[in-house]
Amino acid sequence: MNTDRQIDKLVAHHLDAGKDADSAAAARVLAALAHPLPRQKAGLLGRLPELLLDWQFAPAWPRVAALVGCAALGLAIGFSGVDRRIDGLSARAAQPTNFASAVFEPEALTGARP
Amino acid sequence: MDDSDEALMARVARGDEAAFRELSRRHVPAMLALARRILGNSADAEDVTQEAMLRVWTNAPRWRPLAAVRTWITRVVVNLCLDRKRRAPWVALEAAGEIADPSPGAEHGIESSQLDRQVAAAVAKLPARQRTAVALTYNEGMSNAQVAEILDTSVSAVETLLVRARQSLRQALGHLIE
Repeated sequence: MNTDRQIDKLVAHHLDAGKDADSAAAARVLAALAHPLPRQKAGLLGRLPELLLDWQFAPAWPRVAALVGCAALGLAIGFSGVDRRIDGLSARAAQPTNFASAVFEPEALTGARP
Repeated sequence: MDDSDEALMARVARGDEAAFRELSRRHVPAMLALARRILGNSADAEDVTQEAMLRVWTNAPRWRPLAAVRTWITRVVVNLCLDRKRRAPWVALEAAGEIADPSPGAEHGIESSQLDRQVAAAVAKLPARQRTAVALTYNEGMSNAQVAEILDTSVSAVETLLVRARQSLRQALGHLIE
């Protein structure tokens, strides 16, 4: 165990000795990186959020809320039938309620179905 | 302004060259030393470090902050080093001779210690992955978990690499200690 510790110490000392001795090499690498850099790899999908933010496509929440409110109001009116005319209501009531038989009834002469 | 590695990396991902140069200034010396430890060759280490930093630049927009920036850069450097070791033709250590060190005071360093040379030779004889694990553990002071993340392996595999490396080093250097 003691031998292991001494070897650890030796190796650590050896590795540590050369740790900061590469300043000239580091300067060379940094100088090489100072040249014009190549294009970055980025797919359109990856850049889409950034592009949208750049073009200020971020939603304006009050307007979105107004739009949703209008849509909800339209649905409510549609479902409740408030917008239906009185005479339209009575005409509709006079129509037969069994739509299936009206639509799929075979022709009397040929027997063909529509 | 936030000048953490992560903030710099976010700027690099947006194509900010000044941020990339700052990031390089911070990490190139350590990555160069690491590559040199793994490859045992200053010229190759410079090539690998430069290529690694260029890969960091080109792939920056795809970077996600799942790991520390330093860990990511270290992983790129280690992978490039191991690739290069795999591709390089095998040369006997004796045939390779001494590698010229362009750093100032290198000659004095070479002469300074017989012990250092023996340790260097013992470390150089280790297989690439064992040497990488040793360099990351002793040189970078990383935990086994961090080394495992960089080598893309399990913690127990890293422990095995270190145990085998220590066995080899004990065989090679044991006489110096006794």
